[in-house]
Amino acid sequence: MAEKLLHVEDLNIEFHDHLTPETVVFDFDLDMEEGEIVGLVGESGSGKSMSALAIAGLLSRHDMKKRGSIVFEGKEILNCPRNELRELQGDEICMVFQEPLTSLDPVKKIGWQVEESLKIHTQLTPEERKARALEALKEVELEDPQRVYDSYPHELSGGMRQRVMIAAAMVGNPKLLIADEPTTALDVTVQSQIVELLKKINREKKTAILFISHDLSLVRQLCQRVLVMKHGYVVEAGSSEQIFNNPKEEYTKKLIAAIPKCKETGDDIEVGEKLVDIKDVCVSFTKRKGRATEKVNVLKHITMHINSQEIVGLVGESGCGKSTLAKSIIGLIKTDQGSIINQESRTQMIFQDPYGSLNPSKTVQFIMEEPLKNLTKMTKEERAALSREMICKVGLSEEYLTRYPSELSGGQRQRVCIAASLMLKPKLIIADEPVSALDVTIQAEVLKLMNELHQELGLSFLFISHDLRVVHQMCDRILVMKNGEIVEEGDREQIYNNPQHEYTKELLKSAGLL
Amino acid sequence: MKYVLKKILSCIITLFIVSLLVFVAFALIPGDPALSRLGTNATEATLAAMRHQMGLDRPLAVRYLSWLADALRGDFGTSYSYSMTVSSMILDKLPITLTLMLFSMILMVVIGVPLGVYASYKEGTVIDRIIQIINQINMAIPPFFSGILITLIFGVTLKMFTPGGFVSINRDPLGFFAYMFFPSLSVALPKCAMILNLLYSSLNGEKKKDYVRTAYSRGNTSNAVFFGHMLKNASIPTVTFLGMALADMIAGSIIVEQVFGIPGLGRILLTSIQNRDYPVVIAIIMLIAMIVIVTNLLVDVLYKVIDPRVGNQ
Repeated sequence: MAEKLLHVEDLNIEFHDHLTPETVVFDFDLDMEEGEIVGLVGESGSGKSMSALAIAGLLSRHDMKKRGSIVFEGKEILNCPRNELRELQGDEICMVFQEPLTSLDPVKKIGWQVEESLKIHTQLTPEERKARALEALKEVELEDPQRVYDSYPHELSGGMRQRVMIAAAMVGNPKLLIADEPTTALDVTVQSQIVELLKKINREKKTAILFISHDLSLVRQLCQRVLVMKHGYVVEAGSSEQIFNNPKEEYTKKLIAAIPKCKETGDDIEVGEKLVDIKDVCVSFTKRKGRATEKVNVLKHITMHINSQEIVGLVGESGCGKSTLAKSIIGLIKTDQGSIINQESRTQMIFQDPYGSLNPSKTVQFIMEEPLKNLTKMTKEERAALSREMICKVGLSEEYLTRYPSELSGGQRQRVCIAASLMLKPKLIIADEPVSALDVTIQAEVLKLMNELHQELGLSFLFISHDLRVVHQMCDRILVMKNGEIVEEGDREQIYNNPQHEYTKELLKSAGLL
Repeated sequence: MKYVLKKILSCIITLFIVSLLVFVAFALIPGDPALSRLGTNATEATLAAMRHQMGLDRPLAVRYLSWLADALRGDFGTSYSYSMTVSSMILDKLPITLTLMLFSMILMVVIGVPLGVYASYKEGTVIDRIIQIINQINMAIPPFFSGILITLIFGVTLKMFTPGGFVSINRDPLGFFAYMFFPSLSVALPKCAMILNLLYSSLNGEKKKDYVRTAYSRGNTSNAVFFGHMLKNASIPTVTFLGMALADMIAGSIIVEQVFGIPGLGRILLTSIQNRDYPVVIAIIMLIAMIVIVTNLLVDVLYKVIDPRVGNQ
C-alpha cells in the first residue's frame, strides 16, 4: 500500500491558560491519501479548526500542549521545531481561511502576497515568480489577472479575495490544502463557485483537500469522506454517502436534520389586510468619485406589500438592496420617490449579528426595557413584569434578565434580541439575516421560535436572508431581489417549483434546490 | 496628486479661519496696547492720540482686512514695543525654535519607535516589563520638570553642558547644537513614552489578526512576519500621532525655552503677550498654526502612502 499523505493519531490539544488545563481536542485520528477530499464538520467550538491548525503547524502558543502524532509524508511534524515546520508551510501544506479580507495583509498588493510563498521556498527570479503568480490567479478563474495582481485587497470583492487566497495557497503546488470554513463569509452563489473551484483544483492537480465547514450541504457536494466532531471528539467518520444517508450517531442525525429542509410548516394562518404597502419606491445614494458625483440607484421602482400575519421572505445577494428596503420601511432612509405606508409604527428589527447588536455593558433587562422607557409611560414594575413575560416567551428563564450579553451564547443572544423586539408588542418584525451567524442546530431552534411567535401572536415577519432553504422553511410569500429590483415574486410553491426568472433559477441551483 | 491639491486648498482655508479667530480673540480680551506702551501715567488725550497713531480706533473689520492685505504681501507690521519689523524679529528667532522642534521630533522617533518595537517583540518577557515600568514613569513627567531634572543631572552634576550658557549658532555652531540637545531631550521624552506605548499596543493588536496567521501558514519566519507584515500595519496609527504630537511639542518647547534660557520664539511670544504687542503675537500664532497645518498635511500624504485604503472609495 502506498504511503499515506497524512496520518494523524491520538491528537490531543490542551490549553493551559487557566488553573485547570482544558482539553479542546481528544484522540483525533485522521488518514488522508493523496488527492482525497475529506470534510470535517461540527459546530463552533467542536475543535475542528483547532485540529486543522495543529495539522498546519499553526498552533504554537506557549500555553498549549499537543500530544499524539501527526505524520506528513512519513515525517513526524507534531511538536517539531518551527524551522523544520517552515519548510512544509506554504510549500507542501497550505491554508485558506474563513474571512478573506482580514486574512490578507491590507497594505500589501495582491501580487506580492501571492508570490510570498515562492519567495520563501524557491530560488525563482522575480520575473519567474510573477509569471507563476499570474498563472495561479488565472487558474482560480479570475478575470484580468494582471489587474488583480496590481490591486490591494480592499479593492476586490469577497469572492475575488477568496479566489486570491486560494491562488496564493496553490501557487507552490502543495500536496495538502486545508480550507477552514472557506465559504462561510461569502454569498450563496459565490459559495458554490468556490466549491466548484476546489473540486477543479483537486481534479486537475491531485491536491488533497481538508475541507472544514459547518455547512453540511456544501460538504456533501464536495467531500468523499466526512468526519463529524462534537466537543472535541470525532463522533462519527465514514464515507460521505454513509454519513448522509445512514448516519449512526444521534448527533450526526441531529446535524443532518437541522439542515433547513423544504417542507410545509405547521398550519398556515389566514393572512389579514395590508400592513405595509410600498408603491414605486426609488432610493439612490450619491457616491463621490473624485470630482464628479455618481448617483447609485439602490432601489429601483419597488412595489410590494406585507399583509398582517404573513411571513414574507426577501432573498438576494449582499449589496442587492435588501437591507436598504428594510430601512426604508421603518423610515430610517429617505426615499426619492414613491410611497411607503406602514400601518405599524412600532415595527421592530432583528439583526444578523447578535454579538454586535447588544450593548455589552448593559444587562439583558436594561436592553429589553429600553424601548419602553423611550416610547411608553409604563412604570418600573410594569416594565419588569413585561420583560419577565417576554423572556419566558422566547424560551429563556427569568434569571437571564440580570445577565450581561457576554454571558450568553449566540443562540441565547438572538433570543434576547427577539424578546427585546417583542416588548412594544409590534405587529411587524423585520428580521435581517437573523440566523446567518448561528450554528446550524441553533439556527433550527431560533427559526422554530420565530415560527411559534408567528402562530401564537399573529406576528408578521419580513424575513431577509440569502439562504433559500431557510426562507422556504419560514416564508409564505417570497420576493427575489437583484440589483435593487424585485425580479420575481410569488408564493413559496411557485418560486421553488416553477421559478420564472433566470436569477431565481441561479440562486436555487447554487443552493442545490434545482 | 489631486488628493494633495485638495488637501493644500483645505489647509489655506484653515489658515484664513485661524487668522480671523486670532484677530477677533485679541480684540475681545481685555488690555490696551496704547496703555501698555505709554504707561499708566498717560493722559486720556495722549492715549487717544496713540490709539489713532496705531490704527486701533478703526473698526475691527477694517483692521483685519488691512492686516490681511499686508500679511499676504509678507508684511506683518511693526512691533509696538520694539521699533523692529515683526518679520525680522521672528526670522531672527525662528531657526532656534525650529532646531529645538526638529531635534525633539528626531529624538522622539529615534528613541520611541525602536523601544516600542523591541518591547512588543519581547512581549511578556522581563525586558518588556522593565521597558513598560520606565515608560509609565516617563509618561507622567511633564517637559518642564524633565527639563529641570536634565539640567540638574547633565548640567549641574555631570557638567556635560552649562545651564543657561546658550551659544548662538553664528558664534559656535557645534556648541549651539550640543546645547540644544538637552532641551530637545526634555521636550521629546514624554512624547517618546506615548509613541512607545502606541506602537507597542498596536503591534500587539496586529499579532492577533488573521493576516498574521496567513503569513505564518506560508512558512515565514517570526522575524519576517513581524518586520515584513506587522510593522507597516502597526505604523498607521503611529504616523497619525506624530502629527498631533507636533502641536503639543510646540507648547512644550515654549516652556522648555524658559527653563533652559533659550532666546527662541517662545520667549518673544511670552513677553509680547505681556506687553500687548499684538502684531508680534498674531504673527507667531499664525506661524505656529502654519507649522502644525503643514505637518499634518505631510502626515496625511504619508498616511496615504502607507495605507492604500485611505482616500479612494
